[in-house]
Amino acid sequence: MGARKDGRLEGWKAFLRERLPLASVDTHLRKPLPKHINLLFSLGSLAMFLLLLQAATGAFLAFYYSPSPEHAHNAVTYISEEVPFGAFVRGLHHWGASAMVIIVVLHLLRVVLYSSYKAPRELTWIFGVLLLLIVLGFGFTGYLLPWDEKAYWATVVGVEIASTAPGLGDFVAKVMRGGSEIGAVTLSRFYALHTIWLPWLAFGLVGVHLFFVRYYGSSGTPKNTPEEMKTGKPFYPHQVFEDVVGMLILFVVLAAVALFVPVPLEDVADPTNADYDPRPEWYFLFLFQLLKYFQGPFEIIGTFVIPTVGMLLLLFLPFLDRSERAVLWKRPIALTVTSVCVVGIVVLTILGGTSKKLETTDAAVQETSQPTEQIQTETVEEGEAVFDFQLTDEEIEGAKAVEEESQ
Amino acid sequence: MKKKGRRSFLEIVTAFIGGILGLAAGIPLIGFAISPAFKKGESKWVDLGLADRLKNSRFKKVDYTFTAKDGWVKATKKRSVYVTDAGNGEWRVFSRICSHLGCLVRWDESKESFLCPCHGAIFDKTGAVVAGPPPEPLQKLETKVEAGILYVKET
Repeated sequence: MGARKDGRLEGWKAFLRERLPLASVDTHLRKPLPKHINLLFSLGSLAMFLLLLQAATGAFLAFYYSPSPEHAHNAVTYISEEVPFGAFVRGLHHWGASAMVIIVVLHLLRVVLYSSYKAPRELTWIFGVLLLLIVLGFGFTGYLLPWDEKAYWATVVGVEIASTAPGLGDFVAKVMRGGSEIGAVTLSRFYALHTIWLPWLAFGLVGVHLFFVRYYGSSGTPKNTPEEMKTGKPFYPHQVFEDVVGMLILFVVLAAVALFVPVPLEDVADPTNADYDPRPEWYFLFLFQLLKYFQGPFEIIGTFVIPTVGMLLLLFLPFLDRSERAVLWKRPIALTVTSVCVVGIVVLTILGGTSKKLETTDAAVQETSQPTEQIQTETVEEGEAVFDFQLTDEEIEGAKAVEEESQ
Repeated sequence: MKKKGRRSFLEIVTAFIGGILGLAAGIPLIGFAISPAFKKGESKWVDLGLADRLKNSRFKKVDYTFTAKDGWVKATKKRSVYVTDAGNGEWRVFSRICSHLGCLVRWDESKESFLCPCHGAIFDKTGAVVAGPPPEPLQKLETKVEAGILYVKET
């Protein structure tokens, strides 16, 4: 029985071998890695795993989601509260996005640590930085989709930041919104970007990035001599095994968070909500905080100059840093710049996250918050009175008629 | 030599056809995507209520609604403004949208200022920037009073 099964399996293998270049795939998979390599070299595979997990959970969330201001919030509530496993799948997707940012940044830091971006791997680095931008793009387009207060206001601020770019800023903001303000068109185009454009771009760039990784081979640590670059363990099964164990640990942690930490969903977006203090997702808090320090005509430095220049420097780092390949602490300039950037971003993130919410005393409103007969309608929100004196069409016509008669 | 000439001719024609195809498909697709940026919004007068009821030497926060097209949807838009009458028939109606990055400002009576909850902007009661990042004052909306009704121009 076993022999027959083995025979059948061999038959299938032979069938595939005749039709596909499996021997070449096998050679690639078993390509030896550099001798000195460590667990940090699994971060790229973890990022890839998270991208696939986000794609899978996102594709399933799309079964129930509806990208319209009337239905989006209800759809997300429905997913979270009524669909079996809905809260878990949404949790995996939401917390997976945060994990993705963390893993991608750690991956980038690993590359900086071992100066793996140096020749001949400049293109691998450039495509990696482009992927970092795509990840941030996923975050930005994704958090509008629940159409809650955070979604709405974070997007308002994000798009306004784009509008401050010199020259085309206002045009770009209008294209992003699909008009002059955030509404149905914005939501549908953010949905399209998040679920179609960015995934296609991401997988395309990952393909190119991986091609370069395989073509130039793993960089290993700078400790490797030229002879040691091809004398390590084979990629498969050794590195793949470590990667898969890493993926398992990551998934268990993510699943635990998705199970025990509910994904926040605030009230439905309200463009007039006075009491809401907008705050972005944690990975944009550094930018949120940075914007406070550039005032008046210098606003553009925080909104445009620093982010753009920072990203360009990052993109072209391999051409700016021409020093010999070595571990980070043996490169004083690179160590200083990296430390300043990392500490700066962490401090700004903490300051942004702990910044106090605004408290106002509105004595004028308190005085008038007692309804009088003269006040037609009054809605009292928490802490502040809101007046709605608008007239019906009949009342407006009546007032006009009275005025005409008096003339 | 002849072969090389034919090959470069084929290369040029192939690139030309590729370019034509790219432009023929690309121009309408890009136009399709960016067209909303060229659409001019309509401005219209929206009533806030009877002017007598809104008269107040201090700022009142007033919400109002109006219908406007949002893509394919005829939507009820919500807006919020601060209203005060400065006397002599002059009305001050300030948009609550911070001129920095679009968050909604709040009036603080004790500080006699509009405060932004996002990046710490402060505007005085004339809408001028007192502190914080905004490069411009709060937007003062155009108003008119007709038949005793206060209108603001919604753009």
